[in-house]
Amino acid sequence: MVYQTQKGHTEEHILVCLSSSPSNAKIIHTAARMARAFNSRFTALFVENPNYETAPENRRRLRENQALAKQHGAQVETVYGEDVAYQIAEFARLSGITKIVLGRSIAAQRSPLGKMMLTEQLSFYAPEIDIHIIPDGSAGRIYRPVKVKNNHKAGIWKDAASSIAFLCGTTLLSLGFYRLGFTDANIIMVYILGVLLTSTVVSHQIYSLVSSIASVFIFNFLFTHPRFSFTAYETGYPVTFVVMFLTAYITGTFAIRYKEQAAQSAKIAYRTKILFDTNQLLSKAGNKAEIQNAAAEQIMKLLGRNIVIFENENEGLSAPLFFPPDTAWDTSYDLEEELDTARWVLKNNHAAGASTNILPDTRYMYLAIRVGERVYGVIGIDAAENPLDASEQSILLSILGECALALENEKNAREKEAAAVLAESEQLRANLLRTISHDLRTPLTTISGNASNLISNGSSFDEKTRKQIYTDIYDDAMWLINLVENLLYATRIEEGRMTLNTSTELLGDIVEEAMKHISRKADQRHLSVMHEDDMILVRADAKLVVQVIINIVDNAVKYTMPDSDIIVKTRKNNGMAEVRIADNGSGISDEEKEKVFEKFYSGSNKIADNRRSLGLGLYLCKAIIAAHGGVICAEDNEPKGTAFVFTLPLEEVTLHE
Amino acid sequence: MSKFQILVVEDDAPVRNLITTTLKAHDYRFATAVNGNDAVMETASHNPDVILLDLGLPDIDGVEVIRRIRSWSNVPIIVISARSEDNDKIDALDAGADDYLTKPFSVEELLARLRVTQRRLVQMQSAGGNQPVFVNGQLRIDYASGCAYLNGEEMHLTPIEYKLLCLLSQNAGKVLTHKFITQSVWGSSWENDIGSLRVFMATLRKKLEKAPGSPQYIQTHIGIGYRMLRIE
Repeated sequence: MVYQTQKGHTEEHILVCLSSSPSNAKIIHTAARMARAFNSRFTALFVENPNYETAPENRRRLRENQALAKQHGAQVETVYGEDVAYQIAEFARLSGITKIVLGRSIAAQRSPLGKMMLTEQLSFYAPEIDIHIIPDGSAGRIYRPVKVKNNHKAGIWKDAASSIAFLCGTTLLSLGFYRLGFTDANIIMVYILGVLLTSTVVSHQIYSLVSSIASVFIFNFLFTHPRFSFTAYETGYPVTFVVMFLTAYITGTFAIRYKEQAAQSAKIAYRTKILFDTNQLLSKAGNKAEIQNAAAEQIMKLLGRNIVIFENENEGLSAPLFFPPDTAWDTSYDLEEELDTARWVLKNNHAAGASTNILPDTRYMYLAIRVGERVYGVIGIDAAENPLDASEQSILLSILGECALALENEKNAREKEAAAVLAESEQLRANLLRTISHDLRTPLTTISGNASNLISNGSSFDEKTRKQIYTDIYDDAMWLINLVENLLYATRIEEGRMTLNTSTELLGDIVEEAMKHISRKADQRHLSVMHEDDMILVRADAKLVVQVIINIVDNAVKYTMPDSDIIVKTRKNNGMAEVRIADNGSGISDEEKEKVFEKFYSGSNKIADNRRSLGLGLYLCKAIIAAHGGVICAEDNEPKGTAFVFTLPLEEVTLHE
Repeated sequence: MSKFQILVVEDDAPVRNLITTTLKAHDYRFATAVNGNDAVMETASHNPDVILLDLGLPDIDGVEVIRRIRSWSNVPIIVISARSEDNDKIDALDAGADDYLTKPFSVEELLARLRVTQRRLVQMQSAGGNQPVFVNGQLRIDYASGCAYLNGEEMHLTPIEYKLLCLLSQNAGKVLTHKFITQSVWGSSWENDIGSLRVFMATLRKKLEKAPGSPQYIQTHIGIGYRMLRIE
């Protein structure tokens, strides 16, 4: 079952309301023509009313109408709810409907209590939507679905019993009053009160009508002369009876209507509260997982059923998430079928599974979490044993709508953020290029200048000068080499390609390797290495960690005077491997301790060799250590100087003998 | 000593000049090749003693050159790689290269690698195949009896440590990759074996080296593997 959806549609979206009426076919044809004329999307909606089960004949006609709508390329949807107008309006709002097509007979249908017509209600709920009313041929033969009452037997008996009880009570009280010699007026008031009270407990007007009539007859029979007969001598009595009946009936009707409205508004208030809570929770949720959790928990709380959620992962299902988390698939159902059904829902953007008429043999009922055409995920609700009732259905759909909107917002926010990050990295790239081209110039000038000196008049320099020139060339070249190395790693970080190539490493080996690459200026400092434990195994990308140590030590060399001490110390601390590189230089301020790890930050201290640094070294260190799951920080060294401390995760090894 | 014939395979002229100038200054004899096919031809016709091979050649991949040469010759090959990715070096070593240099390299480093290879060659020629006893500095291994001696005293090694020592000594001068070592010792090269390798190597060194911080016998090549150094 794959529904056609028309491609290349405009903004218009036409909705036709399905019913089991024989004239519905004509309306579907008309709506389909409109959809073609507008080249718009076309949806057919059926509002299933929970209180009545329609006769088999109507069911069949409804199926025919649904099939007809499908033939015309409509997407067929079903919603559940008592208030038809509200359901249509809500669906229209969520699906972005612009025009609703109704048959005249249905449009003119009034609710039994003579409230507003369907059209009036619709325009009240959804004022911004066009409503098109189509004459549906069968004029004069107003169609009424055949209603079969089924589950109100118990209610009838209860209401009848309480009506009789109230009548008896009223009659007894009236007999008492009569004995005490009270006037008719008091007795009439007592009966009216009785009907009013009856009306507050019963569920249908018919009881207050019957009670009113019965009251009049009982009053006539028991209290008017001649007593115990249905005749009355006094000429005013007929008027009294009529007035009594009307008063009783009208007050009763009002009481019932008031009660219904109270129940309705309580329901609406409850629904509003749930939706409000959901909304609050969803707006607090920061990411996809939190949004799903919030919605799932809210639905679980509301329905008291197990839930399973799938995310839409590149148009496929993610691993299922169960709520409550300790539940799993029911093994008495076919797991493949559950997954197939969920997949079908994802693909077709239409509810399926238990209690629906598509693939109904599953444990869960699957619904799409969607905004319009975009499906963000699929939710399964345990509905095999007892299907959801209409109000549960409708509130569930509202929550799912909210959830999908939240997911869409989150997605938009994420895309926006990604765009911002992209812009930022473009900016960084530009900065980087500018800084590099500036900073490369200095060493390149000395290298090329020195080399050109040697070429043109190398022989005229004395040995000492020549040696100095060679050393300068060599040092500048080494500086460039280290710069290139750092740039390579920096671009890898910028491009998000900081993929660690980790393996088990001996921390001591890493430190030794780093020491081999320390710049030659370190010769003038006292560099020492101490291992508190010579068997510290870490999980690390050795090359990167070597670079971290080189950068920190080179930094220490750069910012200290000759003859300073630089001590590299390793140890195990709090379940992590720790490397501490301390110098006894002039130290850095607390403010700078944070800043040194920022990109392109270059210390304000006087640098020993007077070369401006690129401000990449420590930034890289931080990125590398963070990628390993460690931390890096700068602190004061005792008694003076700076210490850089970083940690790496320890590795446990089971030995293979 | 300086009668060694070295084949320099490098397509980049400045780097080739740097290498040949260095070799000239230290009295080595050399020939040059600028691509992979030339290198294979040159090796076949002149039978050099050592090959310095750049991995990034214009015609065929350096690793492929190693495979072709290895199909008939055991000539020591030192690869030169500009790529800082370790995998290329490991591939080259696993294909049969003996040692590697990473660009940019210093002249001292190049000369040191050449000396290591030369010593290895001399050792191989004088020994001529499998010896029952291996001697390197103060270390002596008696393969027949399965004992190792340091400064004349027997070392107390676990079976794995002894296996590692034998493997390194039999390939002294050559860089052995982690994969090669773990496969030779454990028959597999899972992640966990690398961890074990580190631990056993550390304990072996503790027993072997006077100062494990600056090792004399076993050199660590971070991210690549280990090598036993020849001591003169």
